[in-house]
Amino acid sequence: MDYRADFHIHSCLSPCASLEMSLNSIVQRARNAGLNAIALTDHNCGFNLPAFGTICERHGMECLYGMEVTSVEEAHILCLFDQLDVAVDFGAQVYDSLPDFANQPEKFGDQPIIDADEEILGFAEKFLISASGFDIGSLVQEVHGLGGLVIPAHIDRAMYGIIAQLGFLPDEEFDAVELTAYGDQELAQHFPIIRSSDSHHLGGLGQAHTDLQMDRLSVAELRSSLWKKDAG
Amino acid sequence: MKVSELTSLEALTCVQDTYTDAEISTGYTSDLLSDVMGNAEENSVLITIQAHKNTIAVSSLAGITAIIICSKRPCPEDMLKAARDEGIAVFQTADNQFNTSALIAQKLG
Repeated sequence: MDYRADFHIHSCLSPCASLEMSLNSIVQRARNAGLNAIALTDHNCGFNLPAFGTICERHGMECLYGMEVTSVEEAHILCLFDQLDVAVDFGAQVYDSLPDFANQPEKFGDQPIIDADEEILGFAEKFLISASGFDIGSLVQEVHGLGGLVIPAHIDRAMYGIIAQLGFLPDEEFDAVELTAYGDQELAQHFPIIRSSDSHHLGGLGQAHTDLQMDRLSVAELRSSLWKKDAG
Repeated sequence: MKVSELTSLEALTCVQDTYTDAEISTGYTSDLLSDVMGNAEENSVLITIQAHKNTIAVSSLAGITAIIICSKRPCPEDMLKAARDEGIAVFQTADNQFNTSALIAQKLG
């Protein structure tokens, strides 16, 4: 089956994302943009993943459950799972590892947690843009141990991309690396490439995507499709 | 100044003591490793809070001879092992980067 995927999307929970990024709006806009596989990847937590799963199911949209973790090195790393409960648990671990620095909504924006009817259940208290307690090596180990994928985000960006932070792409067992729409593929070295929108507002959806061939959307299928695509 | 002379500073604790006793000619203070890689001089002591094994990789490429980890950040075992393998000394201090830089600058004269 042909997939057009965007595995890097923020909901209203991320303080830097627009409040228009409600889960229903994301899924509808993604479909209108021609996407048939998406992942929700809020910063350093997975509080909106249960509602995201329900809404994707309602709309018949295939999805992965993710988060964009800030490593100790302050590099942004996508972690993607196909099991909702595993993703939610890992999201809680990442959130717990953040420093006890409270969000200041008037400065950074709100961090609303919502249910499948888009009612606000509460707000994430800690500032989600802080660095987590996971360094890159331990993140790879933990996430692989839980059956997930580890993909350094926007490695072509000057801010929070792994190369900008470290000066090089470390030799870890990444499942792929992510580039922005027009990022230089040479940066990826031998790793498979995904391109994603990193949408923080509805207009961003569809601005970058990855075309994939898979029987169905799962971590195992995605991993094998990425490496096959790269070899081809 | 030699790396071993850092052990005489009360504020520092040596947490990786299998190292080449190289010359330290200057210091570099930064928490952005791509900046260290691009701008640190060879034979520098690196003053940073970045306590992980990639700090060792960058230090080895940049010719850093010793690393001081500030604010008592914990140094993971894989970091210390990498430092041992590269012969780079690692020190820890409770002080922040500013005070540590001042201390080292004074010591270097």
